Amino acid sequence: MDVASTAAMLHTLQDPTGIPSHPLIFQVLMVFTWVPHILFVNISLGAALMGLYAFTKRHDPHWQKLSEAMTKVAKVGVSLLVVLGVAPLLFTQTIYDPQWYASNLLSASWVIGFIFTLTIGYLAWFTFYLKNHGDHAPGWIFWLGVFGLAMFFLDGFIMHVLAYQGLHPEKWVEWYTPDGHVDMSGNSVHAYELVRWGFFMAMSVTVFGAFLIAYGDYFKVRADRGPAYLAFARKLGSQIAFVGAVAQVVLLLGWMLDVPAALKIWTHPMSWLLLIYLGVLVAAFAVARGSDTQGQGYKLLTLSIGMAGLVAIFREVLRMAYMAPFNYSVLDYKVLWDVPSFVLFLLTIVGVGGLMGGFIITLVYKAGRVSGVYQADATVSRLGVGSVAATALWVAGFMAVGIWIWLSNNG
Amino acid sequence: MLEMLGLYPQWYVPGIGTAWVMGIIGTIHVLASHTSVGAAWLFALLAQKSVSENKPEIMLYLKKYGMFLLVFSYIIGSITGPGIWYSVTVASPRGISGLIHNFVWLWASEWVFFFVEVIGVYAMVYLIGKIDNKTYLKLAWSFALASWATMILIVPILSFMMWPGNDQWYSTGSTFDAAFNLNYFAHLGIRTAFMFAVAGAVGGIIAATLKDRETRIEITRFLSKMGLAGMFLMLVMFMWYTATLPENARLIMETQMMPKYGSTLGALLLATLVYFIFTAWKPMYLRQGVAVVMTLAIGLFGLWPEERSRESMRKPYVAGQYIYSNQFFSRDVPGKGVVSDMPLIEAKGVLATNYFVPEELRKITPENQLRAGEVLTKIMCANCHSVESDGALRPLPPLFGHSDEPKMIQAYLDGALYHGKIPYMPRMPLPEDERAAMALYIASLSGYTPPAVAVSQATHSSSAKGVN
Repeated sequence: MDVASTAAMLHTLQDPTGIPSHPLIFQVLMVFTWVPHILFVNISLGAALMGLYAFTKRHDPHWQKLSEAMTKVAKVGVSLLVVLGVAPLLFTQTIYDPQWYASNLLSASWVIGFIFTLTIGYLAWFTFYLKNHGDHAPGWIFWLGVFGLAMFFLDGFIMHVLAYQGLHPEKWVEWYTPDGHVDMSGNSVHAYELVRWGFFMAMSVTVFGAFLIAYGDYFKVRADRGPAYLAFARKLGSQIAFVGAVAQVVLLLGWMLDVPAALKIWTHPMSWLLLIYLGVLVAAFAVARGSDTQGQGYKLLTLSIGMAGLVAIFREVLRMAYMAPFNYSVLDYKVLWDVPSFVLFLLTIVGVGGLMGGFIITLVYKAGRVSGVYQADATVSRLGVGSVAATALWVAGFMAVGIWIWLSNNG
Repeated sequence: MLEMLGLYPQWYVPGIGTAWVMGIIGTIHVLASHTSVGAAWLFALLAQKSVSENKPEIMLYLKKYGMFLLVFSYIIGSITGPGIWYSVTVASPRGISGLIHNFVWLWASEWVFFFVEVIGVYAMVYLIGKIDNKTYLKLAWSFALASWATMILIVPILSFMMWPGNDQWYSTGSTFDAAFNLNYFAHLGIRTAFMFAVAGAVGGIIAATLKDRETRIEITRFLSKMGLAGMFLMLVMFMWYTATLPENARLIMETQMMPKYGSTLGALLLATLVYFIFTAWKPMYLRQGVAVVMTLAIGLFGLWPEERSRESMRKPYVAGQYIYSNQFFSRDVPGKGVVSDMPLIEAKGVLATNYFVPEELRKITPENQLRAGEVLTKIMCANCHSVESDGALRPLPPLFGHSDEPKMIQAYLDGALYHGKIPYMPRMPLPEDERAAMALYIASLSGYTPPAVAVSQATHSSSAKGVN
């Protein structure tokens, strides 16, 4: 399809309902809510792979302990990444709706397959987690874990395909109607970019490595986690993170080479900023590799989170470059402001997210560092009261507004 | 008038159709998610009882129940939740898009609750006995309220799918006018009641395994009372719910849903009441297998008909009585600047105005008539009908009496459908040549061979291209 027709198609496909706030708000939220999602993807994939690898060496107490811990990390991580993925997807469907829907419809069977493979993959992993305790864990569960991880990789690949196909609207009609034959099966994967996919896999190695160093630091106050084990985890983490960061640099260069030259991604400052940042990351992990990283875990993890933030921006810059020839800019989206629902969101994220989320995270963090029963300190206690109050007030307020509007409109 | 239609590619699932794909995932999700919300309240109520009556054994039950809650409701619920979203994305892209663009901030608010709920569920289970009781209760009540809030926030969208219930939203386009539609509170009431009932049944699966007799009796009775209260509330709310439905939905419910599912739902209702009364009376007789069967029965004989009925009763719409189930906009919505697709279809048809139609099918000829008919039929009808005779989703050939006479079929398309006279069917004001092509294709499903195809087959092996 030619550029003009593709541009016209994209604008026709945009939802005529418009969006209820400025597109920049959605774009920023889309980019930055993706960061925690991808971080948990990275940590979960890395932890699952490590959980399995360590399982094969479980005759060694350190590896056995690590296998159990990482199996649990992957179990919690996958459930969180699913939830965290909802927000960026919601905002993507708000401002990049043509790209997302068309790409999904073209590979619809894979979209549904994603749900079932994720479900059975997770149940397999959960079973592996339930059985992976002590040095007498049966060997066959290894294959259950391998199956679970394979499903996670497959699901990650499906997500990659859906995102990537959305970048090529000029090919959608050709993919849907090859040789004039209408393909409504949704069975085909039409496009993928292995080097881009590989970059995110390498990112999993880096982020997981940094996570492992931080894990070693987090448990240093727990008497039931020996210093030797924690030093073992930190050393392993710094070695892994270094390999991941180097691989990311190589794969990012490969990715940029694979992007069509017309998009001029090499001259974009964001590309260079990311490359330089990755270089700093390589240097940081190279230093960490050769020294004791005790006390450095949170810093290195924060550095990796910063990298994820830059990757998120780079990814959006790239999408904008892909869409530019078709005059598709999210900033042109029709806006019909809906202030009350936007205020509701702000109050919810600040009030409930801040107070209840803050309460639970602080509580889990503090209780996790105590071996016996944790007695809440004044801060946690106040946060607890705030959490209940904020949630109850939210429910009462929403209902009150609802009843008032309901009576006004239907009375 | 529009120039082109904003239609996406079509996904066709032979036999069961996309509606069943959504229904299957939806049923699993509703069972899991309502269980999870109900269990959150059960957790809070029992934790409160444990602390105020100083009964630590109840906390042990919660610890056991919590792990089950994680495996059963939370994991399945949290994956099938986006699963519904994904299935609707590929089954009804303009429908879900319309909902997202209307309700994005409500959905984003729900995500906040969803997130705190998910980290909360881990905290609830793993911190039992590891933090002081007072803090645990704060956690439990925050969690219960947050879980219910996810329901409070999703029901506006589900009930708007049925209809706004008044004209306000069409002119204002306001999210709150859409959210607090006529159907909202009754719908929320039913789901809230159901969450208590299903949590009562699911809770029994673990309660039946408790070793301590006193605790087992106490908890089983608690569950039975909660289940009975839920059932009673559900009946009251159902009566209110039916009073808030649009005319087309009531018609479908009375003429199609009740004859099809009425006796099953009645029997299930009776069985559930008997189950809760019996387990309240003789708690020690409750066996785990019975509780499992009861839970599955609620899912299979209660939720599946409910999900299918709700989907059917919305017909011919999929959202807000402005998006038809076949993805066309049926009317203008001035408050949102939405323009009806009907005038464009009437003037130019669907083939010439849909980007996802091959160039050679844009103009109908005797040679491509059958293929054009197939594409059109699937675009116009496949959201609600299988084209296979033995398809599970209201198959077209039997609905036309297996007719192989194109003219007879076209008479129906020319009359009732063209003018939108069937209350549960979308209006289809297609041009004459497109109606003829559809009629030809539908007749071919029952054995009719169009002349152009017959000639082609007789002279040489045809390379006619079809649709997968």
